[in-house]
Amino acid sequence: MANIFPRWSNFTPLKIAICLGAIGFGVTFVFAVYSGPASQRVGYQPTQPIPYSHDIHVNQLGLDCRYCHSFVEHGAQANVPSANVCWNCHGPNKVKSDSPKLAPLRKAMAQNEAGENVGEPIEWVRVHRSPDYVYFNHSAHVNRGVSCQSCHGDVDEMKVVHHDQSLTMGWCLDCHRSPEEHLRPIEEITNFDYDAEEYLREHKLTNKDGEAITSQTEFGEFLKAHWNVKPKESCATCHR
Amino acid sequence: MSKRVWNHPEPSKDEVQTQVWRSAGELEGNPLFQNHLDREFPEGGDLTEEEQELSRRSFVKLMGASSALAGLGLASCRRPEAYIVPYKEAPEWVIPGKALYYATSMPRSGGGVPLLVTSFEGRPTKLEPNSKHAETKGTDAFTQASILNLYDPFRSKEVLAKGKKSSRKKLDAALKELASSKGKIAFVFGEDDSPSRGRLAGELLKKFPASKAYRYEALTNPVGDEVYGDGVELVADFATADRILSLDCDFVGLDEVGPTRPFFDRRQGGAHDGDKLYAHKIDPKKMNRLYQVEAAYSVTGGIADHRLRLAPSQIIKIAAAVAKNLGLNVEVAELSADETKWAAECAKDLQANAGKSLVLAGSRHSAELQQLAVAMNAKLQAFGKGKPATLVQTGKKGFSNLAQLAKDVDAGAVDTLVLLTPSNPVYDAASDLDFSALLGKVKTSIHWGLRTNATAYACDWHIPAAHYLESWGDTRTAKGTYSLLQPLILPLYDGVGELDLLSALLGDGELKLGTETTPSAGYDVVRQTFEAQVEKGAAAWAKALQLGFVEDSYSEAKPKAALPKLTEALKQAAPKKDSLEVVFAADSSVWDGRYIDNSWLQEAPDPISKLTWDNVAYLSPKTAKALGISSKLTELEPVNNVAGIDVKNAPRPEIGEAGAAKAPVITITLGGKVLRIPALVSFGLAENTIVLPLGYGQARDDGYSGGIKHNEAQPTVGHVGLNVGFNAYPLRATAAFSAVGATIAKTSDRYPVALTQEHHAMYGRALAREVSTMPNESHGHKVSFDEQLKKVKKQGIDSHMPPNHSIYKPEGKVDEESGKRVKHLSDDRHQWAMAIDLNACVGCNACLIACQAENNIPVVGKEQVAKGREMHWIRMDRYYAATPDGDEDNPEMIPQPVACTQCELAPCETVCPVNATVHTEEGLNAMAYNRCIGTRYCANNCPYKARRFNFFDYNKRNPLIKKNLYKGPAGEKQVGDARSLQRNPNVTVRMRGVMEKCTYCVQRLENAKIKQKQITRKKSLGVGSTSVSISAEELRIKVDSVKVACQEACSASAITFGNMLDGDKSAMMRAKSSERNYDLLNYIGTLPRTSYLARVKNPNQAIPGANSVGRATINIH
Repeated sequence: MANIFPRWSNFTPLKIAICLGAIGFGVTFVFAVYSGPASQRVGYQPTQPIPYSHDIHVNQLGLDCRYCHSFVEHGAQANVPSANVCWNCHGPNKVKSDSPKLAPLRKAMAQNEAGENVGEPIEWVRVHRSPDYVYFNHSAHVNRGVSCQSCHGDVDEMKVVHHDQSLTMGWCLDCHRSPEEHLRPIEEITNFDYDAEEYLREHKLTNKDGEAITSQTEFGEFLKAHWNVKPKESCATCHR
Repeated sequence: MSKRVWNHPEPSKDEVQTQVWRSAGELEGNPLFQNHLDREFPEGGDLTEEEQELSRRSFVKLMGASSALAGLGLASCRRPEAYIVPYKEAPEWVIPGKALYYATSMPRSGGGVPLLVTSFEGRPTKLEPNSKHAETKGTDAFTQASILNLYDPFRSKEVLAKGKKSSRKKLDAALKELASSKGKIAFVFGEDDSPSRGRLAGELLKKFPASKAYRYEALTNPVGDEVYGDGVELVADFATADRILSLDCDFVGLDEVGPTRPFFDRRQGGAHDGDKLYAHKIDPKKMNRLYQVEAAYSVTGGIADHRLRLAPSQIIKIAAAVAKNLGLNVEVAELSADETKWAAECAKDLQANAGKSLVLAGSRHSAELQQLAVAMNAKLQAFGKGKPATLVQTGKKGFSNLAQLAKDVDAGAVDTLVLLTPSNPVYDAASDLDFSALLGKVKTSIHWGLRTNATAYACDWHIPAAHYLESWGDTRTAKGTYSLLQPLILPLYDGVGELDLLSALLGDGELKLGTETTPSAGYDVVRQTFEAQVEKGAAAWAKALQLGFVEDSYSEAKPKAALPKLTEALKQAAPKKDSLEVVFAADSSVWDGRYIDNSWLQEAPDPISKLTWDNVAYLSPKTAKALGISSKLTELEPVNNVAGIDVKNAPRPEIGEAGAAKAPVITITLGGKVLRIPALVSFGLAENTIVLPLGYGQARDDGYSGGIKHNEAQPTVGHVGLNVGFNAYPLRATAAFSAVGATIAKTSDRYPVALTQEHHAMYGRALAREVSTMPNESHGHKVSFDEQLKKVKKQGIDSHMPPNHSIYKPEGKVDEESGKRVKHLSDDRHQWAMAIDLNACVGCNACLIACQAENNIPVVGKEQVAKGREMHWIRMDRYYAATPDGDEDNPEMIPQPVACTQCELAPCETVCPVNATVHTEEGLNAMAYNRCIGTRYCANNCPYKARRFNFFDYNKRNPLIKKNLYKGPAGEKQVGDARSLQRNPNVTVRMRGVMEKCTYCVQRLENAKIKQKQITRKKSLGVGSTSVSISAEELRIKVDSVKVACQEACSASAITFGNMLDGDKSAMMRAKSSERNYDLLNYIGTLPRTSYLARVKNPNQAIPGANSVGRATINIH
């Protein structure tokens, strides 16, 4: 009886196994790299109902973050401003009050004859979102020397806001383990042009041994020691 | 296989010791109890049909299909777009995500409760006691759970006309007609005291001259007015009461007579002589002493120093004997030798402390008993300023009672009936009164209420009421402090406030309800009352509203001097086997029946019997045996007994506590009326007495005859109240709360009951410890109080153990690389711990429900409770204890709340395969819920059995619909979204397959810490942050400033919580340094952060049985 399978087919099962293994590895690798927040969230830049430009308001006009995000020092959430805050400048006969881009704002502030607000609130599209089981608190960070910039990137230059950092748990822990890389004076929290070395040239500071502080790391260590900053890594810090 | 347990050495046979048990099963050494002890969740043989159906095979089938489908869905895995919707115009004060606190009060009979309500973006989520208020420093279970009534999806939402859906327009027309008529209106109010309502009632009586006002609540005894005077109530001041004789008055539980905090102060070291709490140890001379005479165990009876058990009709005999011994000229009846001695010695003790002793009579007892108590108080000089008893004239003067209403209706003096009482008279009025027939005799009847109960359907009109958290109003506390009610939210279902309705009738009948911009009519009414009775001006009003109350007190009334005629009452013979006495008791879950739809209260185990979701008839073990209801306390019978042949030899309980527990159904006949109801034995209950809790059985559709038949077209209850308990009201012919001459017959039926007393049982003895101020007899020699205190830590196996060492040392090991010392997991700012004082805890469940509200704990339903799957983070254990020389039928009762003790060396942490439960630097045993994969190893390894597992998606799926949980994702969801409005946004809502437990309200701790961190910015203002330095002490939150939910709710201050690093400045640390302090299961070396303080009893040596008081601990050495 002749051989049904030719000789070369002896290695076929092995080849198939190797191929399947490579495919399996590849799929896993691609999934691991591209399905996480680092790839899925960074760069997320949805269209907003009003094309609000942080670039114009912060860089050109010099508005402080806390004019709109007013509760960032007090509460867990850095609130998106209520429509009446926008209305302060964009109200009737004020800045660009007739602009068609501000239609949703006018809709939100619409009044009836009795002077009651009958408008529809603006639905801003959420850019940064931590999962439900994460209880991130803005006030705990900005009151302890972590800048808006550290997590949100150079918002002042964003014409349309995008997701800048990955905001993964590992990313959080990096900073909780070595906060000295990010700490800055409380006064500079909302200063997007802040540069540690420049600041240190202007404000002469010395460490315990009397040596001048020149780098961010040294400065961070200095602030960490002075303010007693001891970020926790235990679960209950963020998860409850 | 049971787990390996390091248990106590068995005591030698000849050693006599106190016997301690949780349940009848444990007392008799039932194998089912052993099962509960061995396994954290007893299962196995008790799988339900549905569970058996879901075999491994079908599971694999399902999984195959679902993973195939999951593949299809993978393509679109971007997170869905979410929106942020800010306010149009930001309201004042609101910071998104931060709670606001508003002061209001809960109106109720016996005095309003001043509250502080937590509100998140306009939705109230949690009730706390108003700590600024001198009178109330806590809340009870009803108050805590009342917020759930606000969000009850089965609340009344529609106007009903003659039991059918009607419209607002038609109601408005009817109200206008009534307001313009010259009708003979009868207004029936509740038993709470509201100055505004009193004022409006007065004006209404002027507008409708032929009308009359009444008040009625099912559990308020109208004889009080007879005894004390119209609208006069007795208020006790426990701060000045050294000796208390309570004649069936459950004053710390269901029969309030004034604030109880001072009563507990007198039983806690330090607090009782004006010092800081726990500043020094208990001085027996300054401790109070409570004598309790009662039929069935109450929480007050549990904390009493001497407890005498007597049938209700016999209590007056003891009272008469005490009165006689006090020198009052009253008749007496013959008593047993022990009782005679008891009465004489008790009277002697009261007399010796005249001016500082107090006699309380249960408000649900006869006028004679209450009069006798008044006479005794007068004799003991208890009335007056700075004395233990005060009679106060409340604003409830000038209202008649329900019996008078019946007479007036029969006489034709009423043509319109307006029912504003929170009770449900069609269902709960005395059955001789026949209230539904009464409704037929009036031309128009209007019912106003939160629920569409039996009365709502029986009346011509039903108006949905606004909850007290939705309305303007005012009330007075027990002592008369004027307290305001302010709405926290607009009425969810367009409910009408009581004051809105009354002022509409006073005007032209037009209801003025609140809108977003204008308040309801109630606001104007309260404002006017305030201006007239308290103070004028907007500033005073704003201040009162902010604070919630204005200091004020009732005027005093004079006690009536008359002695009662006792001849008839003393003739009443003790109940016998064939003529039993029935006690109609208030229930700690449903009160008079109004909380039947409150799932938190329904699932909270009864403080005494540990029964959930039902009421049963309670009998003493001896009576049950004598009547042939059960020969053993827990009867083990072959279950498949076919024609006398055992098919299967598996023993199963007939009365027991396991999943298959079934209670025998009996029939009770009283005055020609018959009730079929299951029966359970209860310890410490008077012989030949049946206790029937009221308020249940409002609707049943499962064929049991002991409840009202459920009418689907006119539902009186929602999912929660359906098929819950048995209706005892029909047996209650008169307004009295006990009756004699009942008989019992056995039936062959069995009824499943969900008892939690054996659930999560712990190994070990000497769990709840107790000492006595009286020298104890032990091993032939006397042990003084001081010596007993020293032995508290050394009881049980603890006497053999070397001291435990904490791993929480600030210094750690030296790191080899850097040569630096690496600190152990240890925080230098906060180390949390708790102390629970068993001398103040009575087991009332307030903490359990407060915890449920704070931590988003779901209810699981009766079926799941029966399987031991209740989710309460606090387990309220209750032990009975009888000393060998004591009265086994009248054992001591000692409650012990157990939640996660936050062990420093936690056994649960070492076994978690995914690090979902780990320690924090601050000593918490934290749970990362999103990490938990549900192996349940941790629960298996927890010696305290403090962990709870979500076997199903209790939060999302409605566990109250039959078989719903087993349908998985196809199951019906929770009804409406109102329930989710109550959730605490700072706590994860756990899903199926996740383990959960107490974490010391970590959300409150984190928020307090974060708030403290603001100091960095505040100190930097003006000086520059680089020149600021912050110490650990500055970052530490203020001493005892953060309170956990259970601690805040406790009206006895039994729970203290704080930071161990605060040292003696913290009450918790002072408690821990007390000699009474001990760790639970200390011998296994887990180093729990929660410790307990032993109970101290203060017996009178001369009273019979004093030797066995204060010995609930098993005394080994």
